[in-house]
Amino acid sequence: MSSTHENIFLRLQRIDRRWIYLVLWLVIMVPLIFPFRIQPRASTPVAQLFNYIDTMPENKALVISVDFTPDTRAELQPMVIALLRHAFTIKRRVGILAMQVYGLGLAEEAIQQVTNEFNSRAQTHEDSVIYGEDFVFWGWTTPLLTVMLGMGERITRVFPVDYYGNPTESLPIMRDLKNYDDVGILVSIAASAMPRSWINFAQVQFGVNLSCGITAVSAADFYPYVNSGQFIGMLAGMKGAAEYEQLVEKRMKNKGMDWGLRNTGTEAMSSQTAAHLAIMVFIVVGNIAYFASRRRKK
Amino acid sequence: MKRRLPLLIVLITGIFGAVAFFVPYPAIRAADEIMRNDVQRIIAAFSLVLGVGSIVQHHMLKIQRRAQYYSYSYITIIALIITAIIGVFGGIDVTRPGILPTRFGSFSIHIQTLYSNMMVPLAATMFSLLAFFMASAAYRAFRARNLEATLLLLAAFIVMLGAVPFGRLIHHQLPAFAEWILAVPNTASKRGILFGVELGIFATSLKIILGIERGWLGGGK
Repeated sequence: MSSTHENIFLRLQRIDRRWIYLVLWLVIMVPLIFPFRIQPRASTPVAQLFNYIDTMPENKALVISVDFTPDTRAELQPMVIALLRHAFTIKRRVGILAMQVYGLGLAEEAIQQVTNEFNSRAQTHEDSVIYGEDFVFWGWTTPLLTVMLGMGERITRVFPVDYYGNPTESLPIMRDLKNYDDVGILVSIAASAMPRSWINFAQVQFGVNLSCGITAVSAADFYPYVNSGQFIGMLAGMKGAAEYEQLVEKRMKNKGMDWGLRNTGTEAMSSQTAAHLAIMVFIVVGNIAYFASRRRKK
Repeated sequence: MKRRLPLLIVLITGIFGAVAFFVPYPAIRAADEIMRNDVQRIIAAFSLVLGVGSIVQHHMLKIQRRAQYYSYSYITIIALIITAIIGVFGGIDVTRPGILPTRFGSFSIHIQTLYSNMMVPLAATMFSLLAFFMASAAYRAFRARNLEATLLLLAAFIVMLGAVPFGRLIHHQLPAFAEWILAVPNTASKRGILFGVELGIFATSLKIILGIERGWLGGGK
């Protein structure tokens, strides 16, 4: 091995980490500015959840539990938005709650965005999404045991007032949304072990159907529950969100709602793909440099 | 008494909480509902007071002692007070105002404005740093030093390739293989770990309820 090669491998081993940061920053930023189109195909867990919600009986509601904090907003918020769009497209009632106080603002953001999307294009009352009739935002309360078990008995007892201060008993939607019996599926969007708590308390005790949307790093932790059927499908990371967005977009187009809405999960896929590839290149280069310099030492 | 009373409360409520899961007797169910819906909420409200009191006390002490970086404590306390006042009296957003005037022309400082424009970017910035540390760690530490490390590296590589559309271009079955790794070998090992963890939680809970484990009482020996 020539000394030039030896030098390269040694230098690669000792490279200043700021160069790695710079490369990664460029790899993330450039596709955000000049995105390349990526059409994610729905994986089995994503398709499972989509199909379940899509074929849910009309009298059953979708409940979304916003169990994440703003740090994981980029990855998880697109899931909340896609789920809301899906439910409103197929005219299913939605109940929203937050198991973390930080989730309140994120849920409110998603509600504002999606209701604006639908109501700004609505021609008739039926096309509109009406608060208290089509959806309800219960807000947050604590502790989690009170919420998860209490919702199985009577939701209005757990949330006497909604996020906006209205008595929940006065909302028309609550007449047919009394407890888990009226819930088609509850989807916990979380960056923690919260979906597991929903299984322990809500599913074991009351048999409510559950699913989850989680960050990519924690996806491996939840596969056992998907395999056992305790979760009906799963959305894992930004890729899961992008896949769901694509399915919802297709569904909306089928219903003549070709609105060209922004899908932030899909938009970020090009950047995420580039970052994944860059990290793989880092691993390969790092290993080549490691083995080359080890051979030299021998 | 100082130690016995909390131990007694934990023993009674712990056993009652577990029993209520299995006994469908109406009186037990009603008592359990009161415990969950009223008693626990009152305790949670006290913990909020305790939490706020604790953080204020901690930062006030830092300021008094002029400890290192004490100036940041001013920011914490001021932010806490302003956010609490706006949160309680300032309304949610422009469409749902509170009793405090939080809108000045086109500028508003409602809780949702503060949340979306301060909390979200600050938290996202902190979390996004993880990508840089991961990239640096992948380059410097993810080495195929032995068989186990090589297997881990290969599995990670395949799962990452399967997660990006590029993986499908290499081989159309690669995403399915990545999914298989997550769904079968990963699930098998995770289940083993989970059984261990749950049994550990069960044993620790029993030790706390029966007063064998008393670390939670604090105060050392």
